[in-house]
Amino acid sequence: MRARDNPFRTECLQRLRYRFAGITWEELLGRCERLNYRGAVVGRCGSGKTTLLEELAPKLQERGLVTRSIRLSREQPSFKPGFLSQLVLKLSDREILLLDGAEQLSLGGWHWFKCRTRAAGGLIVTTHLPGRLPTLWECRTSAPLLAQLAADLLGTEAEDLQRQAEELFERHRGNLREALRECYDQLAAESS
Amino acid sequence: MTELSIELAQEQTAFKPAEAVRGKVSWTVDPPPQFMELRLFWFTRGKGTEDAGIVQTVRFDQPLPHETRSFEVCLPEAPYSFSGKLISLVWALELVAYPSKQVARREIEMGPDGKEVRIESVQTSGLARRWLEVRAT
Repeated sequence: MRARDNPFRTECLQRLRYRFAGITWEELLGRCERLNYRGAVVGRCGSGKTTLLEELAPKLQERGLVTRSIRLSREQPSFKPGFLSQLVLKLSDREILLLDGAEQLSLGGWHWFKCRTRAAGGLIVTTHLPGRLPTLWECRTSAPLLAQLAADLLGTEAEDLQRQAEELFERHRGNLREALRECYDQLAAESS
Repeated sequence: MTELSIELAQEQTAFKPAEAVRGKVSWTVDPPPQFMELRLFWFTRGKGTEDAGIVQTVRFDQPLPHETRSFEVCLPEAPYSFSGKLISLVWALELVAYPSKQVARREIEMGPDGKEVRIESVQTSGLARRWLEVRAT
């Protein structure tokens, strides 16, 4: 199977939408508002935090808010020199900062960032563990969820993939990103 | 309402390096666009981070809300379209309406025979097989 045809290729994974269980977008946005738009999306690696934050941005914009997205990662765990100074120069109380990867900041770095950005109208972050801000939403994964995502990508029924999903889920300890990457490898290998 | 399309001359989608790609672009854009842009670019598809490179752009100024225009762009010598298990490199034309940034895309292939290069896995290539045979003796 060519990489361009693999249903688990990156562009297909990026099109997957966040799947809520037990809450709607309206309810989540209501929760945002009650927290004065200061909260954390919490969850382990590969649980959908980034996906949820990316989808939250246009929802906030529909409410007349301006969002600014910032991303930290293992490859880029800190802000570039001068970035924070530039950022705070233009901050307004209509702007909601969306910081993906807040766990990359040390405790001191986090408190410095929160202090420098206090003029913003809100701050919503993703982080692995709760504590830095009130928890807005906790991302959880499950084998049935993995089966559903894989089924959507393959154009098949989730029930057909339940057993494989359980094995993958256990092997990757709930990290759906890694589980879906293994699906890519399995399909690529099967076709050789 | 927005409709964008890219039509290739003789419906040719396979090209050799440095070959010209000709065709027509059509659009119906409401409200009328400020300008239209056609891009010739390559991008990667597969596992991991995607990469892309724009090779040529053609700008269509003073576009009417509904119009058809001809274009000609020239493919470079490289990179070829290729596909392996981990990554494919794909060539494409993309028509973009500004400021709405709505897009239409048409994929093409570029290679020595006008086809993408298929990269086989190491395990099946003749060189790897001979290496394994030597190692076994």
